[in-house]
Amino acid sequence: MSKNILVAKDITKSFGRLQVLNGVNLTLNRGDRYILFGSNGVGKTTLVKILATILPADSGELTLFGKKIGKRSKDVKAMIGFMSHEPYLYNELSAFENLNFYANLYSIKNKKERVENLLREVGLYHRSYDRVGSFSRGMKQRLSLARAILHNPDIIFLDEPYAGLDIRAQEILNDLILRLNENGKTFFLITHDIGISFEIANRIGIISKGQIVYEAEGVEKQVFSDKYREIIRREMS
Amino acid sequence: MVEFRNKQMINIYLILSLMIIASFRFAFSIIDFSLNRLASPILWISFFFAGMFSLSLTYKREIEQGTGEGLLLAPISLSSIYLGKLLANLLVISCLELFTLLIFFVFFPVDIPDLLTLLTLVFFGTIGIVALGNIISAISSNLAQSEVMLPVLLVPLLLFTVVMSVVSATSKVFAGAHLLDVINEIRFILAFDVVFIAAGYLLINYILED
Repeated sequence: MSKNILVAKDITKSFGRLQVLNGVNLTLNRGDRYILFGSNGVGKTTLVKILATILPADSGELTLFGKKIGKRSKDVKAMIGFMSHEPYLYNELSAFENLNFYANLYSIKNKKERVENLLREVGLYHRSYDRVGSFSRGMKQRLSLARAILHNPDIIFLDEPYAGLDIRAQEILNDLILRLNENGKTFFLITHDIGISFEIANRIGIISKGQIVYEAEGVEKQVFSDKYREIIRREMS
Repeated sequence: MVEFRNKQMINIYLILSLMIIASFRFAFSIIDFSLNRLASPILWISFFFAGMFSLSLTYKREIEQGTGEGLLLAPISLSSIYLGKLLANLLVISCLELFTLLIFFVFFPVDIPDLLTLLTLVFFGTIGIVALGNIISAISSNLAQSEVMLPVLLVPLLLFTVVMSVVSATSKVFAGAHLLDVINEIRFILAFDVVFIAAGYLLINYILED
């Protein structure tokens, strides 16, 4: 099996006259924990939504698991997990009911067992039958991660997953990501904040003005931080 | 389940129905007019406007809560999302219509019509309203002022198709007609139901993808 599980070539996207992505090229390998940094409004969320097949690109080519992505690639969707800063959860339903609903959409076998195991894994088993509307931001994010990995996807996209989380909740999230990565899951995470996310990265990149302008592996945090600041300064000017 | 748990929506629907029916009752209490002849339009005005409120939330709430993208991520066809929404709306609105019917019979001392025929008409008429309402709700949920856009787009389309036929047939039922007497109207309403469901099933891909 090929090592590359995602290949994006010259991806462009505009909304009206606003060009958001301007020829993005990216390759993800199996087992990557790729963190893409970028300031607000540079196209991070648009890019991750295109890669996760939620949003179609205007042009360019996206290949996931060796398959070129069309408008509705159902078979590939089952291999993708996506966690956004929006939790994609129904406030009126309990944690169990939410996961059970998504388990139905993904035709998961042994639903009850799978959902209960995941609730244990994210530390929410004791709140299984409480409505999600009563959960804190951190609890919703943990449940959202459970939703994203419910169908055992091979690649998991995370869009600003630390937004609104306290330090403890951020650490729990990082632990979960590292544990899942040890089991062979690939992660692609976007954020504007170097902080805690840098610790879990094995590949990093910077997006600026709709293009990935810098990529590195195993770079020192301070060196990367200086580079990031320099790119943001250039963006502003 | 989300609809039934959302008590705010159900309460607003019930209050709206009650207000519409009560307003008509007080308005017509000072006019010497046959209540049997008024029954059909009053009932369908209540169903229509209260139903529209429920329909306006169908896709809008998914967008506001972000769960719409959760559905787009799943390996299911967009047409099945449309059918799921259609069935959920049909169930919720039908339950609420039964309540409206009860209020109606409390406020209006009309001759009790053939209930089987009346309920058949209400059911098939509601399918048409919900089927078309779902498509328009999906289109308008992405537009600015979506609450206003839904009735603006939906009323003219429904008025000259399902609503006209169903109001006319319901009037006949309140005048003493039975199922076989309104069978032509039922066929007509059913034809629109099929056309609207087929249109929604086919068009929803283009509406939700973009």
